[in-house]
Amino acid sequence: MQFTGRHVISISDFSRTDLVRVLELARSMETTGPAARLDGKLMATLFFEPSTRTRLSFEAAMHKLGGKVIGFSDAGSTSTKKGESLADTIRMVERYADVIVIRHPRDGAARLASEVSAVPVINGGDGGNQHPSQTFLDLYTIAKVFPALLSGDRELTIAFAGDLRYGRTVHSLLTALCHFRVKLLLVAPRGLEMPDQYLLAAAHAGLSVQEVPTLQDAIAQADVLYMTRLQEERFPDPLEFDHIKHSYRITAAMLTGAAEHLRILHPLPRVNEIAIDVDATPHAHYFAQAGNGIPVRQALLSLVMGAKS
Amino acid sequence: MVDSAFPSDPPTSTNTRVRQVEAIVHGTVIDHIPGHMTLKVANLLARETDQVSIGMNLRSARMGRKGVVKISGRELDARTLSLLALIAPSASVSIIRDTHVISKFTVPMPKFFEDIARCANPNCVTNHEKWSSRLEVVSANPLAVRCVYCERGFPADELALI
Repeated sequence: MQFTGRHVISISDFSRTDLVRVLELARSMETTGPAARLDGKLMATLFFEPSTRTRLSFEAAMHKLGGKVIGFSDAGSTSTKKGESLADTIRMVERYADVIVIRHPRDGAARLASEVSAVPVINGGDGGNQHPSQTFLDLYTIAKVFPALLSGDRELTIAFAGDLRYGRTVHSLLTALCHFRVKLLLVAPRGLEMPDQYLLAAAHAGLSVQEVPTLQDAIAQADVLYMTRLQEERFPDPLEFDHIKHSYRITAAMLTGAAEHLRILHPLPRVNEIAIDVDATPHAHYFAQAGNGIPVRQALLSLVMGAKS
Repeated sequence: MVDSAFPSDPPTSTNTRVRQVEAIVHGTVIDHIPGHMTLKVANLLARETDQVSIGMNLRSARMGRKGVVKISGRELDARTLSLLALIAPSASVSIIRDTHVISKFTVPMPKFFEDIARCANPNCVTNHEKWSSRLEVVSANPLAVRCVYCERGFPADELALI
């Protein structure tokens, strides 16, 4: 599908061919640099709720491509506080900028923005719904370490652990992985299991999905362990959270028997779920993962703005 | 002439009961409404000034018990038919002109319900901005939809009509 002028709203909108095209361009951004620049182009970052990595990496990506950035990172300082609708904000900003990156607390806000905007809208996270650029960088990270993801030479085993019910990153990544040859392992506390709609999608795509009881089981089998943060507010009983959080915490000691190639990913920020001593192990890959946000977002910006070399 | 809203029905005791619902000359007959939805259909579809006849708990070979709503002087438009598809997808509709049935059809199931019902996700943007809801039909039986905006799926009975 044509990328120029295209909105990036939901990972479900992208075919396998689309996904691979973004990953390949990200690879060339990282290895040889951009073949085309975005000099004179302007990106608006509309961050209606806080973000560290997403906003900074989109801004860094745009600067590296030669473009400029305007925007806000606090909705309280905008006309939204005066009651301006999201649609009106977008109708204004589309006249200022060549591309819009939006993060918004409401599910579906990015889709709404894309229906109003004549310039491409990139979803930087809409409530608990989608965060497609995170999924692209997750895929890119896996493909860099395990080229078999794209070649299909062998089945990769990818484990998801933590809050699989509410975590938008695992939902989007699972959706994207349905296009590839992978086996999924799931580890989640009771009540925070992967929703049925994603399990059905995986089954429909022919993926093998297995629930495993403990993190240690996942560590023993996985090529990639994708950790997510457990949030205390998801647990009605604070004592239950206190008990569970220790079962979903990786320490360096737990990795002593792990396969050498195991990589641990996390969308960050981490809180307690990955102990600091894991950082020094060869398995820690979450900071490299965050770094991959730059070439991936360079690729997305170049594609939707039709950068010409 | 007797209301021929159900001319294809065989002459059974059921029909006798249906005919007890007042005949109409012009308008719309909605038949095969699940019994418990009959009053809801009448309330939602009829305007304040419409003349409406209602039959409840009528025997039906197909459904056991059913409801019938007859609205005089008005033919349902596309939006109203969408509403009917959401609340009573099994219903059939007959358009009556000069006591004749000029068309009879089952409720057409749209691909999308546009601004008919609210998304059931309280955090969906359509519940916070002045913006029409759009729900994609993903399953007709049982009826289930998916919000185009927040991408959540719901059974139809979780939706609140607008």
